[in-house]
Amino acid sequence: MELHLRGVSKTYPNGVRALKDVTLTIPAGMYGLLGPNGAGKSTLMRILSTLQEPDAGSIRLGDIDALKQKDDVRKTLGYLPQEFGVYPKVSAEELLEHFALLKGIAERRARKDVVEALLRQVNLWEVRKQKLGGYSGGMRQRFGVAVALLGNPKLLIVDEPTAGLDPAERVRFLNLLSELGENSVVLLSTHIVEDVSELCTRMAIIDQGEILLEAEPLCAVAGLSGRIWRRILSKHELPAVEREHSVISTKLLAGRTVVHVFSDAAPGPGFEPATPDLEDVYFSTMAGHIGRRREQPQPEAAP
Amino acid sequence: MKFLAIFRFELAYQGRRAWPWFFFAVLLVFSFLMTRDGTLAEALYEDFFLNSPFAVAKTTVFGSLIWLLVAAAIAGDAAARDVATGMHPLTYTLPVSKAEYLGGRFLAALVLNALLLLAVQAGILLAIYAPGVEAEAIGPFRPAAYLTAYAFIALPNAFVATAIQFSLAARSGRAMASYLGSFLLFFMGFFVAAALLFKQGLGTLLDPIGIRFIVEDLSHSWTTSEKSWRLLELKGTVLTNRLLWLGIALGALAVTFLRFRFAHRTESSGWRRGTRRRDEHSPMPADLGVTASAPISVPDVPRTFGFAIHARWTLAIAWASFRTIATSWAGLALLVAIPLLTVLVVLDQMAALGAPLVPTTARVLSELTAPLSAELSRWVIIPPLIVFFAGELVWREREAGLGEITDAMPGSEWAPLLGKFLGLGLVLAVFMTALMAAGMLAQVIRGHQDFELGLYLKVLWGLQLPEYLLFALLALVVHVLVDQKYIGHLVAIMAFVFIALLAAMLGLEHNLLVYGAGPGWSYTEMRGFGPFLGPWLWFKLYWAAWALLLAVVARLLWGRGKERGLGVRLQLARHRFTRPTAWVAGAAAVLILTLGGFIFYNTHVLNPYLSGSDLTERRAEYERRYKRYESIPQPLLTGTNLRVEIHPERRAVEIRGSYRLVNGSALPIDSIHVATAIGGVETRVVTFDRTATLTADDEEHGHRIYALERPLAPGDTLRLDFEVHVERRGFGNRGVDPSVVANGSVFTSGAWFPFVGYQRQRELLSATDRRAHGLEPRPVLASLHDAEGREAAERGGGISFEAVVGTDEDQVAVAPGALRRTWTEGGRRYFHYSTTAPIGREWAFFSARYGVHEGRWKDVEIRIFHHPEHTAHLDRVMRSVRASLDYYTEQFGPYPYRHLSVVEHPGRLGTGLHAEASMISHGEGFPFWTPKDEEGSLDFPFAVMAHEMAHQWTLPYAHVEGAPFLSEGLAWYSAMQVVKASRGDEELRRLLAFMRQPHPYPPIRRGEPLLRALDPYLAYRRGPFAMYALSEYVGSDQVNRALRRLIETHDSAGAPRATTLDLYRELRAVTPDSLKPLLHDLFEVNTFWELETERATAEQTAAGTWQVTLDVRARKVVYDSAGVETEVPMDEPVPIGVFGPAEEGAGELSAPLDVRMHRIRSGEQTITVTVPHKPVLAGIDPYHLLDWEGREDDDNLEAVTAGR
Repeated sequence: MELHLRGVSKTYPNGVRALKDVTLTIPAGMYGLLGPNGAGKSTLMRILSTLQEPDAGSIRLGDIDALKQKDDVRKTLGYLPQEFGVYPKVSAEELLEHFALLKGIAERRARKDVVEALLRQVNLWEVRKQKLGGYSGGMRQRFGVAVALLGNPKLLIVDEPTAGLDPAERVRFLNLLSELGENSVVLLSTHIVEDVSELCTRMAIIDQGEILLEAEPLCAVAGLSGRIWRRILSKHELPAVEREHSVISTKLLAGRTVVHVFSDAAPGPGFEPATPDLEDVYFSTMAGHIGRRREQPQPEAAP
Repeated sequence: MKFLAIFRFELAYQGRRAWPWFFFAVLLVFSFLMTRDGTLAEALYEDFFLNSPFAVAKTTVFGSLIWLLVAAAIAGDAAARDVATGMHPLTYTLPVSKAEYLGGRFLAALVLNALLLLAVQAGILLAIYAPGVEAEAIGPFRPAAYLTAYAFIALPNAFVATAIQFSLAARSGRAMASYLGSFLLFFMGFFVAAALLFKQGLGTLLDPIGIRFIVEDLSHSWTTSEKSWRLLELKGTVLTNRLLWLGIALGALAVTFLRFRFAHRTESSGWRRGTRRRDEHSPMPADLGVTASAPISVPDVPRTFGFAIHARWTLAIAWASFRTIATSWAGLALLVAIPLLTVLVVLDQMAALGAPLVPTTARVLSELTAPLSAELSRWVIIPPLIVFFAGELVWREREAGLGEITDAMPGSEWAPLLGKFLGLGLVLAVFMTALMAAGMLAQVIRGHQDFELGLYLKVLWGLQLPEYLLFALLALVVHVLVDQKYIGHLVAIMAFVFIALLAAMLGLEHNLLVYGAGPGWSYTEMRGFGPFLGPWLWFKLYWAAWALLLAVVARLLWGRGKERGLGVRLQLARHRFTRPTAWVAGAAAVLILTLGGFIFYNTHVLNPYLSGSDLTERRAEYERRYKRYESIPQPLLTGTNLRVEIHPERRAVEIRGSYRLVNGSALPIDSIHVATAIGGVETRVVTFDRTATLTADDEEHGHRIYALERPLAPGDTLRLDFEVHVERRGFGNRGVDPSVVANGSVFTSGAWFPFVGYQRQRELLSATDRRAHGLEPRPVLASLHDAEGREAAERGGGISFEAVVGTDEDQVAVAPGALRRTWTEGGRRYFHYSTTAPIGREWAFFSARYGVHEGRWKDVEIRIFHHPEHTAHLDRVMRSVRASLDYYTEQFGPYPYRHLSVVEHPGRLGTGLHAEASMISHGEGFPFWTPKDEEGSLDFPFAVMAHEMAHQWTLPYAHVEGAPFLSEGLAWYSAMQVVKASRGDEELRRLLAFMRQPHPYPPIRRGEPLLRALDPYLAYRRGPFAMYALSEYVGSDQVNRALRRLIETHDSAGAPRATTLDLYRELRAVTPDSLKPLLHDLFEVNTFWELETERATAEQTAAGTWQVTLDVRARKVVYDSAGVETEVPMDEPVPIGVFGPAEEGAGELSAPLDVRMHRIRSGEQTITVTVPHKPVLAGIDPYHLLDWEGREDDDNLEAVTAGR
């Protein structure tokens, strides 16, 4: 099953163009949607989860027209929104069972089994009788995952799922996702590059409503090979370097500044070739050295 | 400074939101309409200015009631927005003190609310001064009217309500909790104050809104001129009430301030520290990278998405919704607190005028039910609760933050919509069941075991529940469509206000136009549900079809997902309008059209449809057209011969009759004016025994003119034959006429029979109506000195009446007169009644499966017609009738008839009775009015019956001022004397003590004197007490002789009708000159005596007697009709009484040692009395002859203490 987006656009009533003519093909497997805050990720995710209407474009999930046959999408959809709450006075088991019924698991025995398996999977089995109001943020997030996984979704949409998780929980969660990615479309939106690099077979970079790059992470990284240069400098040298070179990222390392520069040839003394990683792909794309933005007349804001 | 910043920010923040402006607009429009239509219409018999302080205050009360119900969001948002939005970690950590934070927020909410309530005053002003009001209805502009209303009603209400709303919202962290605060106040005003505590006078005190003291108290106790001119004053109960509630509000604020913490809020009490800790220490994997993990072992289970699973979803959501409500505070209030209070309310209501009523299921149910539109019933608290719950349910997922997850679940929108509706319905069904339990509990407490469970189920589940369910669906749909919680509440509450109040104000009377409306039902033991259920059901089905259509609309526009603008939802609706949905919508539309068509056929084709204004217009037109014939000579009715065929099952009556008419005037009469019945009554034939031609026939207004070929000479007799046919087909907008039903038919001549001459009782009464239709003003009662009412009684002592009444074989028919004969013919039973002495012109006919209890008094046959199961009253009625005949025949003259009928008719759970010549009728309440029948307790029904019997001796009185006193006042005086003569002084004192209480007639200390009495208080209380006092001063023989002479003078043929002036003349004749000043004080002016015993001491003399010394104080004041109080000097005889110890079980005044008149002056004085035995009690006016008005502490009498 594949997810096809054709020319999806969305403008909010206040004039913000959240999505501009987005066209994507998302095969089964883990797909990462990478972009800064406010890039339009959540809008895209919500449109895919049937919660929002695009102004234009079409979306197909396999044979399903996702904009018209919403209910068919919902039957096979798992959705973990970026933010959600719970009924504070209900226990996890009870609420999950309620959702299981809503997902069409009518048979009581089956429902029990599914609920148990999922609660064990997300490590909430021990606290299943607790009221959800007493759950910590991470427990709540895992509960959300369990809800999203109900009914073996063919399309799983998780919107910034790792934001509120501690490192251990994040790992466990990503493991879970990668399992699922074997035969479903799993769309993961994040602004954390590692999430994508560790998991996804394909990815897209989105900014200001536009898909800037659609690629396989490994190929994209390979494509940058020999074009990323690195230099460690002191703070006051930075403005000069930024003037002369295409700096794609600067970060601090033990009090010194490390700059990465995009250049087809060696940019000059002091620079050493760096082994590119996905972060370099992301920043190069955002800076307009590769991907869609390079084809446009004037590259927009650099980081 | 920070305080100001917080205050200003809050004010500006809410000022930019939409809802305060909506609230303002709603209040403005409501007050406008209320002033324009409500205030004018409600003053039915009154005529006060539209802009009088009273009218302004009344609208202000209703305006602040609406404000209370809709605008709680202001205080709620100010108090709880930070927590609700999750902002509180930011605001709570600011360097701001609690006082600044809470104070600023509260003050901003208060100021906003105070400004909002200005909309009420603005609406009133607009209504008065915008074009469209006649100039006469507007008095001079008085700013004080608006200022007092705003300052004494609106502002305190705003403060109290804001404080309580704010406190609850701050405490719970939820803005919606403020609506619960509103509900609490509403509940106090309508449920607690109205029902539970009214009798103790606490109701007025406890009502936080002002409904009691403006709408109830002032409405009834202010005279018309006061309603036009008097300003609202902040004193007495009103002041106490305002102070009490301000105190409660300050208390709530203080508690909020003390309990409030700038602290993190934990969400649940079921939060367990132990498990939380375990979670925090869950094992950390050694490697933080993503590692391969065990395959997911979630079983792949079958899933279904058919109709069955939708049903399962619906039920699951219904159950979850029910649980949410039932476990919330508001839910517990509805399901537990209100039913528990209801037990107390029912117990409290199971008594009338001091005597208990048997708590039959029918009576208890009448306390538990009310139509949705009964805006002053105590159950008006339920619809706002339904709105609240509907809002909570519609918003449940979104408020929990689960909206996106549930919205992305599969399934149609029907499941949540119907699920929530069913959940709410289940809550209401459980509520009905709880009320059922409450009713039965009250019955058990009163020792009543006959529960009639089936009746409970039919009424509460079958009739009351659907009423609530229809509204619940509307509330849900409104919340779904509006999709903004506060505005949703506003719209839903306004929908309720529309149903209950506005529809009538706007003149929308047809039940096809007001959601959920329909004719009412009624249940009585005699009639059962009668023919009322059919129309009720048709209308409810019609509205259920509408509800279905509404549900389809709500389903189509059900907000799902992130975008909820109307455009987006309409777009989605197109996709959702699938074939099945279209079928449902189509079915609903077809049902609406068919049912509506059927109802329309019934209300417009089978029965004429007349709106209220049509009816007034018809009456006005009647007067305009035919008033000119009022004074032309017409023959008088002197006798009837009727054949009345009642067909209970067919709901039909056929009347054939002939009247004997006599020209009693001095002129020949050449045309006869016949007033025929209007509205579904067919007057078929009218013929005369001489040639007459119909020259005018006005079917619509019921007036025919026949020209006689040969004029009727003075003293000549004319026979008029007529046929009237009444058959009730289908039902009208107001339901079914209950006159003729399967069991328990009752109708009077007034509505159906033809009569000769212009019918003055058809004229419009209300001054406003008359003005609106351009008619001359007409006082409710003409002035005492007006010649109009003084004309000779139009009939020479009444008519002779003869009738044969036929009915079903198993029923008994009753009509005026003595029963001559009864027979069966053609499967029907006939009763022949005729009078032995003249009776009046109003005749009642009854037919039911009666039991007849017979008795005799001398040669008078007494027949009590009663429902076979209603027997508790029979002996008491018989006793009272006999005692009355004993006393009245001796004192006032012979009883003219050989029979007396006491007839029960269906309906009317009250205990009132109605007396006509030789016939007393009562509703089904009276038989269940059962005093405790024990030594020392008052038998009030006995006295009431004696009062009705006294009406048999009521004079033909003129319809002028003072008439209510002549009719009711004299009858009560007579009843007092019967009680005294047959049951003794003790019983009389119990009766007087009961009548001295301020209920049900609160005292009025101004207005007209007794001779010009209009008010029930004067007729039923001050009148009888004045007569009684006089009888004690001059002797009851003398007073009775005066009354007897009055009756003799006015009861004979051709005598002028009596007025209070005639009575006064006769009373003067029997009063010695020394007491004439007292007579003047009692009847000509409003005199109040304030008599008080300060101290009573006793010393034994050497002779063994006791010398009692009393320090008494006296004061006499006179009130004029405007209420101005003048103290007048007093110098008159007043009884001073000394009493010995009473025997066991007897009243404290049962052993008088010395009761004698002493001359008492104004001011303090000492009186000495010598008595033979040791005194216990002593005082001035011990029997309350002059100082009779009941007060908390009886200061006329004091316990006697030992010598000084």
